[in-house]
Amino acid sequence: MSPATALEEAYLAQRERLLRFLRARGAGDAAEDVMQELWLRLAAAPDPQAACGIAYMMRAADRLMIDRYRSEKQAASREKAWAETQPGLADNIAPAPGPERAIAARQQVAAVQQALEGVGARPAAMFRRHRIDGLSQRQIAAEFGVSLSTVESDLRRVYAAILDLRSTLDEV
Amino acid sequence: MTPDQPIRAAALDWAMQTRAPDFDGWDGFTAWLEADPAHAAAYDAVQFALDDADAALELLPEPEVAPANDNPPGWFASRRGWLGGAIAAALVLALTSVLWLSPSGTMYQTAPGETRLIALADGSKVELAGGSRLTLEGERAARLEAGQALFTIKHNAADPFVLTAGDDRLVDAGTVFDVRLAGETLDLAVAEGAVIVNPKGQALRVTAGGRAVRGEGGRYSLAQVDPNAVGEWSRGRISFENATLAEIAAELSRATGKSFSSPDTATRLSGSIALDQVRADPRALEGLLGVRVRSADEDWVLEAE
Repeated sequence: MSPATALEEAYLAQRERLLRFLRARGAGDAAEDVMQELWLRLAAAPDPQAACGIAYMMRAADRLMIDRYRSEKQAASREKAWAETQPGLADNIAPAPGPERAIAARQQVAAVQQALEGVGARPAAMFRRHRIDGLSQRQIAAEFGVSLSTVESDLRRVYAAILDLRSTLDEV
Repeated sequence: MTPDQPIRAAALDWAMQTRAPDFDGWDGFTAWLEADPAHAAAYDAVQFALDDADAALELLPEPEVAPANDNPPGWFASRRGWLGGAIAAALVLALTSVLWLSPSGTMYQTAPGETRLIALADGSKVELAGGSRLTLEGERAARLEAGQALFTIKHNAADPFVLTAGDDRLVDAGTVFDVRLAGETLDLAVAEGAVIVNPKGQALRVTAGGRAVRGEGGRYSLAQVDPNAVGEWSRGRISFENATLAEIAAELSRATGKSFSSPDTATRLSGSIALDQVRADPRALEGLLGVRVRSADEDWVLEAE
């Protein structure tokens, strides 16, 4: 069996499970469409053999929903920004990223930096190794010479700080 | 629009869990999402914030932090090797434990220092720690009234094993797990499979290597645990994590059958103790815990050094 056929079979075998996940994840009536999109992503996976695993497929489905959420949110804010600057224009063509957005991005970076300084050097360093370098909690525990539960509680503090930051930015 | 705090906290937990490369609880995650549409919304908000933070992190200079072992040089670190040599006692089958038959089921009770193995008809088993009380309510239901028990449950998706502990319901999903009940505190540690806490409430899924502790106010906090250390009391060893001397004394009394007490609710210690040493000589705790052990009548009093 070629890797491509194996992937298709694995995908079909897990179809119901993936659909159920996507619906629960918020895809609702669009779940079938999202499944199509998921298939395209799986088929484009660099390692088709790895993509056959249910964990890989579930993770890809989760990622897909995160990306959809972002694009919906951005579309909504673009429409809002556009409507605010161009009253009377019903068109929703996205404006090019202007100076305002560049400033917003810089503010976001500064806010994250501040949040990381607030939680302390070790948790911030762990968070970076975890998120950017992709180390597992176990690997981080070994690297920093602390227990797994310490890593988890440190990371949890950073996650909570990042979430608080988001809520503050949203309120502005 | 702000999701409720408990939902937000649960969403954060799931985001941390799904991030793990070896996360395998997707069906449990699906079940949590299905329980309430607000769950997916909260999870999206968490992931969105994390994505933004990742993007910002990429732009930030890498801080110069030398990874270092900054554990305080506590007794645990220094005496661990010493402890490792102690051989754990085998599970002692108590012959004196009490058993009642009541309309609600069969109740098993152990005296402090005893343990008891309860074999269920389907091959599942329950090991009851000292000073504990458990009622079997039929083949697939039990109630932990007090103390601690280690469950090795044959999973049957159509007929899951349900344990009631305090006000909480713990439902197995193919499982070896340990539950300790002490006053308001419920401590669940999972060695294999998964346990779902209060499926109709917070539906918290605790998987192998996970630990959930319910403190005062009924809130659960999650932590990780070495799966091999789960239920180690049944192999003659008990562990504490940040426990007060008073709590440690109570646990030691229950596990050894000797009477320990401590008025000290301020000093906190973590560590692991081989029980046979303590049974043989309660004063061994002086070396093991770095505390003073004073004999008073029939009681052994623990005091901070």
